Amino acid sequence: MKVSLSWLKELVNYKLTPSQLADKLSLASIGVKEFTDDYLELDLTYNRGDLLSLRGVAREVAAITGSSLAFSSSNSYDYPSLPKTPVEIENSELSAVQCVAKIEGLKVGASPKDWIKKLADCGMRSVNNIADVTNLIMLEYGQPLHSFDALTVKDETIKVRLAKPREEITTLDGKLRKLTSDDIVLADREKPLDVAGVMGGKDTEVKQSTSTILLSASMFNPVMVRKTSNRLGLSSEASRRFQHGLTKTNLLQALTAAIKMYEDLGGKLTAINLAGDLENNPKKIILTQKKINSLLGINIDPELVESYLKKLGFTLASQGLALRAWEVTVPYWRLDVTIEEDLIEEIARMYGYDKIEGESLKDVQVEKLDQTFYNFIYDLKVSLKDVGLTEVQTYSFYSTDVLSLLDSDKQKLVKVANPISSETEYLRQSIWPNLLEVVGKNLRRGYSDIGIFEIGKAFNNINGEPKEEYRLAVALCNGSANPLQELNQIALDLSLHLEGAKLNKGAKLNKALFHPKRQMENLAEVHLRVLNKLGIEKRVAVLEINL
Amino acid sequence: MEEKLKKIQKDYQNKISSSKSLKDLDEIFIALFGKNGQVDLLSHQFKSLPKDELKTIGLLFNQIKQELEKEINYNRLRIKELIYKSLEKENFTMTPSRWEAKKRKGHLHLATQFKKEIIDLFEKLGFQQFDAPHIEFDKYNFEDLNIPKDHPSRDMQDTLYIDVGNLKLEPGLMLLRTHTSNFWPRLMEKGKTPIKAMSFDRCFRYEAVDARHSHTFNQFEIAVVGENITMANLKYLSDYLLKAILGKEAKSRFRPKYYPFVEPGVGIDSLCVFCHGKGCKICSGTGWFEIAGAGMIHPNVYTATGLDPKKYTGLAWGFGPDRILMLKHGIEDIRYFLEGDLKFLEQY
Repeated sequence: MKVSLSWLKELVNYKLTPSQLADKLSLASIGVKEFTDDYLELDLTYNRGDLLSLRGVAREVAAITGSSLAFSSSNSYDYPSLPKTPVEIENSELSAVQCVAKIEGLKVGASPKDWIKKLADCGMRSVNNIADVTNLIMLEYGQPLHSFDALTVKDETIKVRLAKPREEITTLDGKLRKLTSDDIVLADREKPLDVAGVMGGKDTEVKQSTSTILLSASMFNPVMVRKTSNRLGLSSEASRRFQHGLTKTNLLQALTAAIKMYEDLGGKLTAINLAGDLENNPKKIILTQKKINSLLGINIDPELVESYLKKLGFTLASQGLALRAWEVTVPYWRLDVTIEEDLIEEIARMYGYDKIEGESLKDVQVEKLDQTFYNFIYDLKVSLKDVGLTEVQTYSFYSTDVLSLLDSDKQKLVKVANPISSETEYLRQSIWPNLLEVVGKNLRRGYSDIGIFEIGKAFNNINGEPKEEYRLAVALCNGSANPLQELNQIALDLSLHLEGAKLNKGAKLNKALFHPKRQMENLAEVHLRVLNKLGIEKRVAVLEINL
Repeated sequence: MEEKLKKIQKDYQNKISSSKSLKDLDEIFIALFGKNGQVDLLSHQFKSLPKDELKTIGLLFNQIKQELEKEINYNRLRIKELIYKSLEKENFTMTPSRWEAKKRKGHLHLATQFKKEIIDLFEKLGFQQFDAPHIEFDKYNFEDLNIPKDHPSRDMQDTLYIDVGNLKLEPGLMLLRTHTSNFWPRLMEKGKTPIKAMSFDRCFRYEAVDARHSHTFNQFEIAVVGENITMANLKYLSDYLLKAILGKEAKSRFRPKYYPFVEPGVGIDSLCVFCHGKGCKICSGTGWFEIAGAGMIHPNVYTATGLDPKKYTGLAWGFGPDRILMLKHGIEDIRYFLEGDLKFLEQY
């Protein structure tokens, strides 16, 4: 989210330079990706949907800098008694609120300069005055709006429904979109008008000739919007806001402000319908001083607790001084605050994380976890190093080169359902083939004597069930015509180091891939044919053991 | 000219088909195509040919050249097959029985050395290792960690899923774990509290590989669960680690950050030890660089794992050791860790 700084200043009278503001926000509120003299870009997190609006950011800035807001968050919408625009909501699961206002007598033209600057600072382009009103309101309030050319909407009726199978719509970007019955649309009696929460339709957009619009403000099911947006690969400023969750109070404020802006352009509100459940149920959470102190590990003065939360727009009703507890009412714009711990986070960041002093853990008796295996692995690595081998770590996948080499039965491999590329499609079943690839690379770089090992996980597909286990693999290419001799010696030395422990469990090797004669249970020379395929002309012996 | 060409072809066809070793073929190849080889020399004479003759000769020349190359390749394979066959005659010999292994200098991977350093550090505080599977159920990687299905925060961690078609399971049920955090629900559901555990292990994300990103990477993570575990403890442990791995000057700074499995959630910065906090390229001029994500374990995680969120508090702390190693050693490309270049590995 890009925040226009000149616009922000209209909403809150903070007195900081862009750089100071960025520092303050990142330490107390949210990360700042970058800033200039014109804007700062927030590193928006999923929880803080309220910061997807200038007003939300202004509230946050006011709270953390102690400055005052130039607007009130109270709600006043008092529309004259007007005819109702026809609105239908098929199912309240799809949409809790659907408001439509009919505005007549508009004239499409260019937007004034200050609108264009506000939009540009927030990273958006000006379209025309009618469309820009909806975008400016979305940026200020966080509530997406959409204006339809009333002439193109059959019977001026707007219905919220699921798309019908095989229904199609050409969206504003000119692309034909195939819809499914999992998508919500706004539709008239004949056709879909808008992919709900994602993008409007081309046919119903405001044109040069438009004089009457249907202004729509909705709240859609955020999960469904997210799925549609992902499926269509269409992420828009509006879809992000729908997914983060909207609030009824804010929707009405935004609608009222938009109507006012259209009236200022010479428009006249002639019909309106606020359909759906507009009741707001503020959340209440019990907060105790004891929980604050026990989670943060510090003592914060109860007066400070109250002052921090009030600055952020929470209201507190004391449960009695002796109890040191409050019933806290969450402001409507903070959908992310639902439990006591959320409130404690608010208090902690207002108090300042830098004031929390470190305190060592009290000595507690913990349940013993068996560490034998972890220690064994480390000791084994040291022994392997001591006999002169170098540890490598390779990817947990088989590369396409290795796959073609092994000619293995892919049914026995664990497969990734959504690989990034064919190089990450199959998980490794053994480690030695990956080591062979490493040997090849290093031979090409001029090495002639290579002794390497890896300890890591290998993955098997046992009748469809993925299984993983730790393996040790060693590869030796010593320039001799029979490297197995030395590798065998290394294995013997190693078992002396480890008193023979655990080194006798062989990982079964596929015989055809190895020298016809030089094979032991878990130790073998790799077949020259296999080596040649990797461009290796020298002999290589490998070992692989289950750990 | 045409005759000369055909003669070369005939002579060499015989030589090629009667060659007995790859070395013979290599020599033939050089005699033909190498600098001052027969073919190479001949091509120098083209300049003096009349234009129309050059056209026919040129075609023939290319044709013969290709045929000879093809034959050499064919015979390479023929000889290789003979060599593969002759492997049968090689012995399985382990003599002498006490063979003196060559003395090389071995090396531990940088990540192993760092792991040991950090594990030792936290063992001193009573932490114990506990590794969870790499192939994990959605439950332990996401659900139990307060990341329900269809939750937008799943987009924060692009996931590689396992194909479970054969198992007739719901797609997306198994995945390559996206973080080491899957160890806490696995440990917490055993009910063996209090917990003081750690894991340094491999994780996976759906991410294209470049100098700074990899789909396969390490994470180090600690989790403490008990009664009266506080954010002040988290602060202590953060400073403890940073000072040990980056030097005494290092210290931690918390910033609000969102992770679904902790509340409060913080991002941990370290004072930039490379410029002493003055601002440099490494810290983008800010004097601090981000090093870890942490927070107090979310009450929903206790509920999901059968513990009482009223009774327990806990902290968790995780970071990417690969990135710290890159900073500490000036390694510019994360791919060095997993691509087995000995020149790189032997430096450490």
